[in-house]
Amino acid sequence: MRTPASDRCRSLLEQLSKYLDDELPPAQRRSLSAHLRRCPCCQTMADSLKHTVETCRKAGTTRLPADVRVRARARIATLLASGPVGSPRT
Amino acid sequence: MKAQEIAYRFSLLVCGHADDADDAMQEALLKTYRHAGQIKEPAAFRTWLYRTVKNACLISRRKRVDEPARLQSLDDVSMTPDGSVQRIDVEDPGRRPDQVMENTRLRRSLHRALQTLPPESRLIVFLREVEGLSTREVAAVVGISEANVKTRLHRARLSLRQHLEAP
Repeated sequence: MRTPASDRCRSLLEQLSKYLDDELPPAQRRSLSAHLRRCPCCQTMADSLKHTVETCRKAGTTRLPADVRVRARARIATLLASGPVGSPRT
Repeated sequence: MKAQEIAYRFSLLVCGHADDADDAMQEALLKTYRHAGQIKEPAAFRTWLYRTVKNACLISRRKRVDEPARLQSLDDVSMTPDGSVQRIDVEDPGRRPDQVMENTRLRRSLHRALQTLPPESRLIVFLREVEGLSTREVAAVVGISEANVKTRLHRARLSLRQHLEAP
């Protein structure tokens, strides 16, 4: 994969996460959008970073195995039956 | 229970150890059962839960300090009460087989890539990207500024991208 080469590209690379998270001020967002349209290399980088973020988000659908659920609940029930209730803290 | 699934994912991906995950999840859920009723605001509960799981995970890891760190894939195995292993069932049964295969492949790649990150960056990526917490919530759980969360998240994304794109 090609990576951004110019100083301008490197500077914009630092803003890519904020761009993807829609956290850039409007003027900077427009400027970066315009650059991406002109620079295939940076556009590829932006697409790739976006794909990375999407891949992470898909992992959030992991389900709890039934055996783990049952075992944990049984253990918690035992502990709750035997231990005192304290104050909230972590 | 949603909290149980969160605790399980968190423990497994951040701790990277199935036994730690079990211990940490039970410890976190026990605290949740005991104390959750005293937390009035839903937003505060979310942050509290993740902080509780994080601490339980660290405590569980410290108990195993003499053991070498091991990695546990979400797609590999889970321990049964009798000590045998079985494959973790993490797929949605409503999905097509090709979707299941693709998701499995992606999750394996992601898991490998996550393990290359420093622990705190892994934690940030997990909270922000996998669990969808806001930057403010992540900052509260991790105990750093929001600006710091954004900076580390960006670096972590670039690192993950390199690993996920690698052939």
